[in-house]
Amino acid sequence: MLELRNISKVYNPGTVTEMCLFDGFNFKVADGEFVSIVGSNGSGKTSMLNIICGSIPIDGGDVLIDGVSVNHLAEFRRYRTFGRVYQNPAAGACPNLTILENMSLADNKGKRFGLSSGVNKKRAGYYREQLAALGLGLEDKMSVKMGSLSGGQRQAVALLMATLTPLDFLILDEHTAALDPHTAEIIMQLTDRIVREKNLTAIMVTHNLRYAVEYGSRIVMMDRGHIVLDKAGEEKRNTSTDDVLHLFNQISIECGN
Amino acid sequence: MKKFTKILCAALALMMICAFSACSKENKIPVIGINQYGEHPSLDNCRNGFLQGLADAGLVEGEDFTVDYQNAGFDDDIAGDIASSFSANNVALMCGIATNSAVSCYAAAEDKDIPVIFTAVSDPVQAKLDSGNITGTSDKLPVEAQLDLIRSIQPDAKTIGIIYTTSEPNSVSTIADYQANAADYGFTIDAIGVTAQNEVTQAVDTLINRGVDCFSNLTDNTVVGVLASILEKTNDAGIPVYGSEVEQVKGGCVAAAGIDYYALGRQTGAMAAKVLKGEASASEIPYETISEYGIYINSEALAALSLELPADVAEKAVESKDA
Amino acid sequence: MLDLIVSTLTQGFIYALLSYGVYITYKILDFPDLTVDGSFPLGAAVTALLLVNGVNPYLTLLVALAVGALAGLVTGLIHVKLGVRDLLAGIITMTALFSINLQIAGSNLSVERAIDTIFNAPPTMALFGGCSLIVRKLIVSMILALIFKVLLDLYFKTKNGLLLRAVGDNSTLVTSLAKDRGFVKILGLVISNALVALAGCVVCQEQRAFSSTMGTGQVVFGLATVIIGTTIFKKFDFVKGTTAAIVGSILYKICIQCAINLGLPANLLKLITAVLFLVILVLGNVKKGSLKKFGERLAPKTGKGR
Repeated sequence: MLELRNISKVYNPGTVTEMCLFDGFNFKVADGEFVSIVGSNGSGKTSMLNIICGSIPIDGGDVLIDGVSVNHLAEFRRYRTFGRVYQNPAAGACPNLTILENMSLADNKGKRFGLSSGVNKKRAGYYREQLAALGLGLEDKMSVKMGSLSGGQRQAVALLMATLTPLDFLILDEHTAALDPHTAEIIMQLTDRIVREKNLTAIMVTHNLRYAVEYGSRIVMMDRGHIVLDKAGEEKRNTSTDDVLHLFNQISIECGN
Repeated sequence: MKKFTKILCAALALMMICAFSACSKENKIPVIGINQYGEHPSLDNCRNGFLQGLADAGLVEGEDFTVDYQNAGFDDDIAGDIASSFSANNVALMCGIATNSAVSCYAAAEDKDIPVIFTAVSDPVQAKLDSGNITGTSDKLPVEAQLDLIRSIQPDAKTIGIIYTTSEPNSVSTIADYQANAADYGFTIDAIGVTAQNEVTQAVDTLINRGVDCFSNLTDNTVVGVLASILEKTNDAGIPVYGSEVEQVKGGCVAAAGIDYYALGRQTGAMAAKVLKGEASASEIPYETISEYGIYINSEALAALSLELPADVAEKAVESKDA
Repeated sequence: MLDLIVSTLTQGFIYALLSYGVYITYKILDFPDLTVDGSFPLGAAVTALLLVNGVNPYLTLLVALAVGALAGLVTGLIHVKLGVRDLLAGIITMTALFSINLQIAGSNLSVERAIDTIFNAPPTMALFGGCSLIVRKLIVSMILALIFKVLLDLYFKTKNGLLLRAVGDNSTLVTSLAKDRGFVKILGLVISNALVALAGCVVCQEQRAFSSTMGTGQVVFGLATVIIGTTIFKKFDFVKGTTAAIVGSILYKICIQCAINLGLPANLLKLITAVLFLVILVLGNVKKGSLKKFGERLAPKTGKGR
């Protein structure tokens, strides 16, 4: 279980642009949940992900995993049990390495990066299988450099890489936002399948209200550092896109957007 | 790929042949490779003197020898490249002007045991140029003569300020020489070491502030390079600067007990002629330190600081200023 | 003529060791490392001191690797742990090394002929004693260049090597792999500067001298060789970076040797080098944006974005 307890976060403290985003913010994600988070720009969605992953420091409160504080853990240590897919498809893999090399790197996560061969030939068959399951024909391009793939293909591989090793949490940071609608749909379906198959706990930030409603087991809407909507299970199933859109617009109007 | 490699190899070979054909001339006339560390009046004088020395011995350029002159632009890498190119081109003799070039020549000459003649090396022993198929001349400064000269021009002076570059071995050994002899002439030495040219002006300010009575220069390439800006400051403060050789006096120093680099080069040329004629091998000729020195004065600079030259000094002195 | 080719190739192979180092920082880590100007003479200073004191010349190779690694470690720690920008971290170490090198060697230090170097010590003589010194120099330097090329090529294929390549390519991924990217960067700097100091060590043995100014311009030399090499082989993906570095280094030395033999004035050599460099850059239109990136290092960083 992941818990944010009493988090406070102030941007640019002590300057004229000082902005208090979180003040006593609380949030919990139970194991096995697939939480979709929506909200307008500046509502704190991405900041929350960054706080969970340790990418930005916090000014107060605790990030707890299974009840144990991970505040002292550096960002890279937290990724031991986290997987993250970024909005930018280029962020998830190395453009100058081949697909095979990228997959091998991802496969070795959590193990020692020593002086044994970087590419494990025995695992190549497994990677091929995994790539074939994407249905993008990438299984025949294992020795192609990542940089020559399209954004959608890269994001698919990045998703695969992030989930190749056992995870506690999968963090999806607007991972369909930079893709065209058709590709975004494919990636979203793929995400859903992987989360189900591997039985992952996932937190997805998205601007696509339809995805937030259609996928996942829980929907959360944030606004200026507060949770304004939080529905799970039966309640979530009964929530329609229109309901969320309505609330979303209401907030936007209040904000003067 | 194979095709590409072939083309590349062919292109490389062609390039090398084109460039190097220039050097595979007829081998009848022995070539003297001159590796000069950089262009700078004293070193140029050395080279011209060297050629004169060869001529004095009856050797005619173009008939008895040809010269391949290269200067390294004060770059150690280039000095090394020049030396290995001499060695590869089978020159009959290498002449290294200034320590770093001499050391490069000697290292490259090892390949084929080509004789090396050096000049303008202050401390051949420290530079390990004192044994083997090598000889030459040292431009060790006549420090005692310089101290004597300063004493006679400034009878009341107590402290001599010297700026030197810590990375120049010639300067480091000369400073030691100054410090060993200063007391005999009633001076104390206030020396400041610098590592780069841009530190020199600050060092000048510091020494002026400490109240030195005069400055004395070494043959320090870094410091001499900014002589003009040093003189600007010292003239403002009314402090005389003594040079270490004639070019510095021409540049505005009041006086110098220094060596004549042209004469030094000439002496070196005579040694080279012996080797070239086969009269002696370089390993048989011990290196020489020039024993004679000249007193050079710049009367304009002396007058500007209202310094007077004692009659006995004036007699020996050579007026040296650029026309 | 043949001798000239031999000695030019020798220089090319020796300096290839430095090019490998610059290849690692510039091409792989994307780190403009100026430590090179200090670690190169550091290797030479330590070597000169050890040789003069009668240490086995082969042992100096290992010592040079070690001290170079230490120099890289310092730059890495300054950059990663103290948060100093990459370019400045290198400048700080380079500046400090200037003094340290002089402290080690006293001042410029020559190694007399009576002292054996790797080119004429007993084991080399036993193997290649039949060859003249100029040929031995070529053989030994070529062997060194090839040994380290093979070692590096093998290393780049290991898990650790892949991680190193990843950190310059996309450091976010390294973090995602639960690895400390700072540590990986330091590792890269350590390997790079070890190789650079090794080059200094071999140059010192070949030139029989250490000079405090011998480091000046080595970064530029390294960058030029790497860019020349990689530009030539741009279209040939299978050519390894280390091969490109060797070829670049040899080509550069050929150019210098041509300039000397054609009697071009040394005062103009640097200008010629600069022009040559620019021409190759423009013709190769090298790695679009990589120069821009280099420029951005000089300007203050405003955000994480590219």
